[in-house]
Parts: sequence; structure tokens; C-alpha cells
Amino acid sequence: MQLVETAAERALADEVRAFLSSESFRSADLPRALDDRMAVLRRWQAACYEAGYVGRAWPSEFGGGGRAAVEQIIVDQELAAAGAPEFVNVVGLDVLGPSLLNFGNDDQRRRYIPPILSAEEIWCQGFSEPEAGSDLASLRTRAVQDGDTYVINGQKTWVSWGQYAGWCGLLARTDDSAPRHRGISMLIVDMSSPGVEVRPMTQITGHAEFSELFLDDVVVPKENLLGALGDGWKIAMYTLGHERGTAALPRQVKLRTWLDRAVSLAAGRALDGRPVLEDPEVQTALARALIGIEVLRHHAYRTVGEFLSGGAVGPESSSVKLLSAEAEQRLTGTVLDVLGPALLDGDPEEVAENDFWYETYLYSRAASVYGGTRQIQRDIIADRILSLPKE
Amino acid sequence: MDLELSDEQVWIEESVNTLLDRQWPAAQDAWHAGEPDRAQLWEHLVDFGLLSGVGTDLGAIELCLVARAIGGHLASVPLLGSVAVRYALAPHLGELPDRFAAVLDGESRLSIALLEPGGGWSTASTRATVESKRLTGTKAAVEHAAVTDHLAVVARVDGEPGLIIVSSGSPGIEVTPQSSVDATVPLSRVTFADTGVDAVADRELSQTILDRLVTVGGLLAAAEAIGAAAAIFAQARHYASERRQFGRTIGSNQALRHLMADLHVRQASGWSTTLFAAAALDDGMPGARQSASVAKAYVSRAAREVAHGSMQVFGGIAFTEEHPAHRFLRRIIVREQQFGDAAHHERELGRSLAAGALRERVAV
Repeated sequence: MQLVETAAERALADEVRAFLSSESFRSADLPRALDDRMAVLRRWQAACYEAGYVGRAWPSEFGGGGRAAVEQIIVDQELAAAGAPEFVNVVGLDVLGPSLLNFGNDDQRRRYIPPILSAEEIWCQGFSEPEAGSDLASLRTRAVQDGDTYVINGQKTWVSWGQYAGWCGLLARTDDSAPRHRGISMLIVDMSSPGVEVRPMTQITGHAEFSELFLDDVVVPKENLLGALGDGWKIAMYTLGHERGTAALPRQVKLRTWLDRAVSLAAGRALDGRPVLEDPEVQTALARALIGIEVLRHHAYRTVGEFLSGGAVGPESSSVKLLSAEAEQRLTGTVLDVLGPALLDGDPEEVAENDFWYETYLYSRAASVYGGTRQIQRDIIADRILSLPKE
Repeated sequence: MDLELSDEQVWIEESVNTLLDRQWPAAQDAWHAGEPDRAQLWEHLVDFGLLSGVGTDLGAIELCLVARAIGGHLASVPLLGSVAVRYALAPHLGELPDRFAAVLDGESRLSIALLEPGGGWSTASTRATVESKRLTGTKAAVEHAAVTDHLAVVARVDGEPGLIIVSSGSPGIEVTPQSSVDATVPLSRVTFADTGVDAVADRELSQTILDRLVTVGGLLAAAEAIGAAAAIFAQARHYASERRQFGRTIGSNQALRHLMADLHVRQASGWSTTLFAAAALDDGMPGARQSASVAKAYVSRAAREVAHGSMQVFGGIAFTEEHPAHRFLRRIIVREQQFGDAAHHERELGRSLAAGALRERVAV
């Protein structure tokens, strides 16, 4: 058991803080217009990669830092604590990069990994479909072998940053006769291929970070198959588990910065002439939000420990995912509960702060849906941890 | 930054569990174990090195592992007071009167006397008083007071709350059994009328020692509650995999599968937060007291939730006296109260969040 940072860990954290103070860049400073936002975010990830803060634990032969996994966690936590924006190539870093590293061949790794790290090439994931959300294995997009190529037809949805992506990691059915989980393969699709059409979707927050993706006779060379034919489901499950397990630590740091922001807001805004924060019920509600975030942190430490000491990210990552969604939704809901009247008041000078809290609240509704819904996580726990009989 | 147990810690946990499996009846019979059984189990635990190792081989992490095993077996022993007092005093023994070391060196069993009738778990509300080495006051819900050798009493010394040690048989002490929701955790009201005290901690150390005592006490109570919760949950899980209704195993129903998944998350994360706080306390981290409050607040709600959910899985059978479900629930409720329940710690945490922000505001 080790809680106190080692000298090397502290030195790394200090180094990142120094880098951040010279770069001084916060999510709040991002331009609103999506194209400008994207350009700034790509430059930001490139600068961080240059400094050694992206893919720090990925193999050095493919452009990574070749360092211990714990170092990336320390870097991510420092970035989150400073309010720096998340890396824009998040799908490449959290989902498809790890898939390529684990299941790709060396040609694929050499070709695709370095530009994922530098954000030169943005990746999106083509997993969900209109008729295959939680029931991912029922997907209908087809890839039919034709000589040295696959020809893909179908439709994907919830494609993050699809309109900016150069590449898509796509799940498609390659064998209709195989049992439904086995007939799925993962293909690397060039988004500039003829027949690819992207239509941005506007979310409840008003932003359009997602797209729908239409594929009409899209031709993909055979060497763009990731892993073996029929490995698609296995790869997708590995990477989703990976994402759930490692994303929680920077997430809890971000939630903590939001809690601190909410506490100072409650100290600054008044209700009936008294600071909102003086109300003991408000204090208790904020304490409950704090407890949710702290417990998430503690449980994530215990599960990440297994990963850091060489183990795989196991099904306990589903517990972390549930706690993460719960902590986020409790915090954003609490802010509405305790600051509701103050947020409605809408003093023009405070519009940006009010909008931040409404947007954060609205976005938090997705926390129990993306990456496998709350119900899917419970099913994973029931099956793989508790070994309960199947339905 | 990881919470993995060392090989030695795993060994301690396994050994204590084996000892309890052998020397203590199964949970549904633990209720009927009399004083001879309890005393014999205690001897075994002492032989294991439970008391002599506190502060050296046994830190808060190891003690929490032991407490979790005790909770899982519903064992009835004066563990909490005996080890919490030793843990609180261990770093300061060199600076304290020799009498402390003499009491703690041996196999002395200790009860903590903190709570007072009508008072809360904050040591600031203490009314018991020591004057000229004589103690006067009344304490409530003192655990195992009929069998312990010494009482560790929180009392005002020169006006400030401090920790003193009193021999159980001293003149002027009256022990009156109180009702306890868990008969395996006997509670008593103890009155002191001009009772001579054994040892008084120096005033400069009082607050440090009391803080450490209530912090480790809360963690041990949480660890026991999580142990009890995990044990009843394991039984419920087994039952759900065997019991058939409507022609199918009840654990295949999504309503129960999802309920049990949530219960798993509660007990697993409750243990993580307890372990984290224990490690923070052992490492002397600045936020250790706050982490312990987080753990105690969370576990106090989580353990009860796990017991309730498990009883729902069992259905009617868990409403019978012979079924062990209520024994675990009773232990959980007692531990939930001790050293502050969820509401107590949420108020404390909320106050400290607010104090910082409101102070900054004034400074601006």
C-alpha cells in the first residue's frame, strides 16, 4: 500500500504544474465556435505531446514515452486539477489507441499511433447504431469481402468528433452465419473515403460534439482489419473496460475542482441577505457531494492498483464507472438544489458562470449512459463479479 | 498511490479469519455464545499478538482487517476499545506518564467511555471532570464494560477534554447494563463518583490523542460494519443462486441482479474508503481525519443499505429470529452510531468545507 507520493512522482507533478503555469490554459478560455475550438484543442494536445504528457506510458518505438503507467495518471490528474481541457483526440487515446497497441500488427501501430498522440489525426469510434445501442452485438453495419478489400454499408451514431476525424475504428458484421458476438470485426476506415457521410448531431447542451455516420459502399483495404476476422467484439469489450478503469482518476480530480468552484460560488451568492453557504443544509448537501467524489477516488485507487501492478482492468472497473456517474450527477444536481434561485437570477455579469453550471448539469445526464449504461454495468457486475445466474 | 495489501497484511487477515472460523460459532449461533466462549476467543486473539503488536506490527490498516473479520463473524470481544486506545497512545508513550505504558504493555482489556447521556460524539460536549486526580461524571453506551480491565475515559482536565485511564474495579464506579440492539455488543452506563484515576495525559497532548482515538475508533467501527455487511451479502448472493420461484432461480431476475450489483458496489467501495483512510492515518497524512470522516459517513449509510438489500433478497425467511440476517443488521446499526453516524460526519465535513470558503470571502 502506498499513498504518499514518491520523490519521483512529486517531481513529475511539479514539472507538469510548471509547464501549466507557463502555458496557462483553461477550458474556460476555449473559443465557442466549434471549428476554432477544435483548432485550439489540437494545438493544445500537440504542445502537451511535445512536452511528453501524452501517451507517456505507451511504447517508445511507436512514439510513446515508454514510462510507467502511473506517470500518465499523475500527469492527467495535474492537468485536470489545473482545469486544462481534456485531450481532443480522447477516442484515439482512450479507446482505439489501446486497441491498436493490443490487437494491431506492427505496421498498423507504426502508421497510426504517432499521429494519434500528436492529434495530427483525430479518431472516432463507429460502434453504436440506431438499432444497436446498449445491445451493441445486434449491430447491422456489414463489411463484405471483395478481393483485397471490404465493402461497408450501414449507419453509425454517437460518433464523437466525427466531423473532424481522419480515421474511424468501426465495428461491422463480417459473418452472418456465426453466433452474433463472433461475426463482428473491427476495421480501420479512412474518413475521406468515397461513400462516407458525416452529419453532426446537436446535444442537449447545444454543442455538436457528436455525429451520425453513413457508409454507402465504402471500400476499405484488407490490411485495415484490426486483429483477426471475428475479433471485433473481444477488442471492443477490452477497450471499453480499459476506458472505464483508467478514466476515473482524472475524472475525480475534475469533479473535485467543480466542487470547490461550487463551494466558492455558494460563499459568494446570497439568499435573503445571507451567503448561501452559511445554511447548514447547504453545507451538508455539499459534504455529501464531496463524499461521493472521495469514495470514487478511493475505489479507483484500489482497482487501478491491480492494473498498475500488471493486471488487466477487470470487471471491478464497472463499479468505478457506476460510482463515477453517481458522483458527477450528485454534484451537478446538488448545485441546482442549493444554488437554484441564485442561478435563475441571471445577473448579466454572472451569465457565464450560470451557463457553466446548467451545461455541466445537462452534460452529467450522459454519465450514466455513455461507455455502457448504468444497467449494462450492473449486468457486468452481476455476471462477472457475482456470478449470478443469467436471465 | 495504490491500495493493494502486502503479503503480510493478507496473511494477517487470513489468519484471523481462520482463527475465528475455528474458535467462534457460525453467525447464526454467535448470539448464544456465553461469557466463557467470548473470553476464550479473546485469549486466542491475544495469543495471536493482537495487543502487543499495536503501533508496531499492527497499524490502522491491519487493525481494520482484524475488525472486518470480527464483524463478518459477529464475534463478541472487547476489540475496539482495547486496540483503539493503544493505537491512539502508541506514538506518545515516551512523553506520557509511565502508568500509561504499564497499562498498555500487558493484556489489559479496555473500554472507551466517551458518549454522555444526552450528548453527542464530539469530545467538546464532555461534562465528566477530573479534579485533583478524582473523576466525576456519567458515561453512556460503554462497550463490554463488565469485562474490561480499564476504562479509557474522556473527561475535562483543567477545563479541556483529555483522555484518562481508570481501573475498572475502582471505588466509586457503578456499571449499569443498558439495552443494546446487538446483544453481542453489550453496552452499559457507567457512573464515576469521586473515582481515583490511574493516569492522566498531559494537557498539551490531550487534543492530539483524542483526535487520533476518535479517528481510529470510527475506522474500526466502519471496518466491522463492512465486515458484517459483506458477510450477509455473501449469504444473500448464495441464496439467490439456489432459491427457485416461478420455475427459475431468483438470482436470474434482473430486479435482483441489479439490486445485488448495487449492493456489491456499496460494500466494495465502503471497504476501499475505509482502507484509504486507515492508510492515510498510518502515514500521518494531513487530511487523515477528514478521510476518516468521509469513510465513516459513507460506510454508515452503505452498510445498512447492504443489509437491507440482502434481507430483501432473502424475503420472508430473513424476518425470522433464527435467520442470521438481523444479527448482522444489529451489529451494523451499533457500529453505525459509534464515533458519529453519517449525519454527524456530514455536518463536520460540510462545516469545514464552508469555513474555508467563507474565510476566503472575508479576506477578499
